[in-house]
Amino acid sequence: MPSLRTVLRWTAVVAGAAVMLVPFLWTVITSITPNGSLAGGPTLVVKDPTLAAYRELLDALPMWRIALNSFWIAAASTLFQLVTGSMAAYGFARLAFRGKGLVFGLYLATLMVPMQVLVVPLFIEMKTLNLQDTYLSLLAPSIASAFGVFLLRQAVESLPRDLDEAATIDGAGHLRVFTTIVLPLIRPALATVAVFAFMGSWNSFLWPLVVIRSPELMTLPLGLSTLQGQFTTDWDVVMAGSVFSILPIAVVYLFAQRHIIAGIAHTGIK
Amino acid sequence: MSRRGWRNRGWVLFFLLPSAIPLVLFTAVPMVSSLWVSLHRWNLISPMEWVGVDNYTHLLRDPATRDVFAHTLLYCAGYLPLVFAGGLGLALLLNQRMPGRAFFRAAYFLPVVTSWVVVALVWKWLLNPNSGLVNSLLGALGAPQPGWWTDPAWALPAVILASAWKDLGFVMVIMLAGLQAIPQDVLEAARTDGAGAWQRFWRVTLPLLSPSTFFVVVISLINGFQVFDQVYVMTGGGPSGSSQVVVGQIYDLTFRYGRAGEASALSWILFAVILLITAVQVRGQRRWVHYA
Amino acid sequence: MRSLVRRAAAPVVATLALALAACSQGSATRADEPVAGKTTVRYMNFSANDGHEKDLDAIKAAFESANPDITVQIETLPYADYFTKLQTAVAGGTAGDAFELNYENFVTYTANGSLAELKDVDAAPYKPSLLQAFQADGKQYGLPASFSNVVLFYNKDLFDAAGVAPPTASWTWADEQAAATKLTNKGKGVWGDYQPISFFEFYKALAQAGGEFLAPDRKSATFNSDAGRKAAQFLVGKAGRTMPTEAQGAGTPDFDSKLFKDGKLAMWHSGIWMFSGLADAKFDWDIAVEPGDTRKASAMFTNGTVVSAASKNQAAAQKWVTFLTSSDDMVKARLATSWELPPVADTGKVASYLTAGKPANRQAVFDSLDATVLPPVVERQQEMQDAVTKELSAAAAGRKDVATALTDAQKAVDKLLS
Repeated sequence: MPSLRTVLRWTAVVAGAAVMLVPFLWTVITSITPNGSLAGGPTLVVKDPTLAAYRELLDALPMWRIALNSFWIAAASTLFQLVTGSMAAYGFARLAFRGKGLVFGLYLATLMVPMQVLVVPLFIEMKTLNLQDTYLSLLAPSIASAFGVFLLRQAVESLPRDLDEAATIDGAGHLRVFTTIVLPLIRPALATVAVFAFMGSWNSFLWPLVVIRSPELMTLPLGLSTLQGQFTTDWDVVMAGSVFSILPIAVVYLFAQRHIIAGIAHTGIK
Repeated sequence: MSRRGWRNRGWVLFFLLPSAIPLVLFTAVPMVSSLWVSLHRWNLISPMEWVGVDNYTHLLRDPATRDVFAHTLLYCAGYLPLVFAGGLGLALLLNQRMPGRAFFRAAYFLPVVTSWVVVALVWKWLLNPNSGLVNSLLGALGAPQPGWWTDPAWALPAVILASAWKDLGFVMVIMLAGLQAIPQDVLEAARTDGAGAWQRFWRVTLPLLSPSTFFVVVISLINGFQVFDQVYVMTGGGPSGSSQVVVGQIYDLTFRYGRAGEASALSWILFAVILLITAVQVRGQRRWVHYA
Repeated sequence: MRSLVRRAAAPVVATLALALAACSQGSATRADEPVAGKTTVRYMNFSANDGHEKDLDAIKAAFESANPDITVQIETLPYADYFTKLQTAVAGGTAGDAFELNYENFVTYTANGSLAELKDVDAAPYKPSLLQAFQADGKQYGLPASFSNVVLFYNKDLFDAAGVAPPTASWTWADEQAAATKLTNKGKGVWGDYQPISFFEFYKALAQAGGEFLAPDRKSATFNSDAGRKAAQFLVGKAGRTMPTEAQGAGTPDFDSKLFKDGKLAMWHSGIWMFSGLADAKFDWDIAVEPGDTRKASAMFTNGTVVSAASKNQAAAQKWVTFLTSSDDMVKARLATSWELPPVADTGKVASYLTAGKPANRQAVFDSLDATVLPPVVERQQEMQDAVTKELSAAAAGRKDVATALTDAQKAVDKLLS
């Protein structure tokens, strides 16, 4: 017979999860309701469900093409941020150099100016380099991210130095310590950065809006925004687009989650 | 410099340049450009006009600037405790073995990836002053029913509630990763030493979580000060500008009012504020953040 | 160490190759490169978004076959994002040779030389009032591309059921209010009359009450007058009485269109762009010219096309915009899909519009053109609109009384004009 505490805990978790799912469920339900609209509050009732909105979505936009674009950009962003971020994290956490605090502070400073302000100067910079309307220009602002560097630095700092020292005594240089000891041990943090890097790139709107002109470079948020008319909007189609947009991230998250859960048995020091 | 010194510098460059170069090229350079823009008057479509520090003095004297900073500060003050306590609680809850753990974690993370358009509407419905669930419950309990979206005093708290709720999953994920890094034998040792669950949490878990906590607090504040999307979608800064935040003002100034110079100046004032607060935290971390 | 280099070589080379590929520009930018014998005209617009892209393509095809040495490259953006993109493009020097502007933004762009003057324009095909709207300092800086106006929609079935005579062209505010009260049945969730409480409705109601928004020299606002107060009271008074309040959802996206479509709204002030959306409504509906107070005034909105002063192909761009705004192909395309109204002077050309389906009384659209009011436009347009809407909303929500709201609004607008 489970204790009261367990039952309460279970109820809280399930109730909480149900609440958390409401917006997503509402999105799905609106997308399968004929002429679905978002007026009138969330509903779990579906009258005459239909996939018409999805058909309309696929007619209106080259969904597979733009989803693929978004996916490649997000995957590339994630890879770059993991590589550059983990290397910088190791540098800050394990190497000693003069002005380290200042440099880290400068890294953090890059997070403190909002994108809304950077968009115009960055666009002019891209135009000067003749890189506007290219995949590289889409990727550029997210090749490195101080957010990832920060999170990974915290993770590396939390690792006991004994492990490094043991390896160094065995003759390993920084690169080997980094790749064979540090990286495997910060897998949860890497998975976390991967999720946020992917999400950040996937949902990015303002920068792609400004820098992309050609339809073959269009990303998902840009494509979905064209579904909103000046005076009216087909909400069921927009919601179908939202569902289309959420699913890949949910998949990425589920996949990364396994690595976040993956236990680490690492205190082999004693 | 000694050979060791050169080698060390080599390693520093090796590990830092891959991130430093893109950050400088694609973030620092535009930042400096925006600083230059802040010394001009510019509506984006005609050439810039030099005005020196006029934008700054004008903004610092304008009561509207004080208002948007006050709102932003209030937002952070309300948002951070809620999202941290909630996210940490969720992480602790879902760190234990239970069937369907992965499903629950995904469920709690889903709002983080759901677009604000839908989440905003859910919360507008929830907090509807007349027919919303929350006010109906409050009414049933005999408590006062705030006007939420329609009341200038309650619009910002409504945005705070919705934002904290949406980001619970974010904090949960970070804290889960942090909890995973806590060696089990330390907790075991504490248990065999007779420490109760609360004591274990307070004396062992929380201190060992401090690097993650530090990260969450710093990032949440940096992001909190730049809050924009949810305010734009939920209230548009209203009613009567009572929920307008700094970046909302920056956006309006740049893209709707054609005052990009002022917008840049405002963003640098914001930068100074965020920098100060972050510096204070980084300085203070020695006192409470325990690294291995 | 050497093995590391060898292992890293392949991925590094692959990355470099990818990086080079990532630097190549998209098709649209590559098309900017001049090709011998052909001129490319880049055109940015928003009105074709969400349903009319094919119509614009048809007009483009007709133009290109008539002008084989000119290619037109079209970029269509949703309205909500258009000006963000346009302004950034102008700032970065990548704006199109020609682009679309709505009337409200036109003044800002002329005020700082970003538009090329259009010379030798044949004025004959255009409605004179529309052509004039896109002039500045007596020079032509844009050509009207389309126009639309606001009319009174009404649900015939609701009127019949309540035994109220439907609106006619001679109605006044008093008639509208009387009917609205009779038709509102809060118990059944039926509302009598919906009119958004915003800048756009206010300047129109002000004109209907005989007031003026700006002084003739346009250096100060004059809407805080008796007419202004009457107009504001007329609008604000509807909230909660003949239409839902903000708290009940008024003002949220598509709230009013859904209310009307569900048959729960008897009268609705909205634009002719809603016709196609209501085509399959399950009740009988029609339109009437909006009632006035001391005089009639219908809100007219017009979009125009302009040529960028920075364009290297101004002559070709002007040819395109002339075709886009006055050709018969354009008239045909617009009328076929009810894509706003062509700005043509010859009403015979738009005769087919009158019989294009619901509503029956499409003549009201043209009758409304007898007394129109364009939005008051100043350089700091968006700020002025926001200021007025903010004060009116406060009055509608009961936070301020109408007189105070108008005084504050006029003070704010005067500050913007100084």
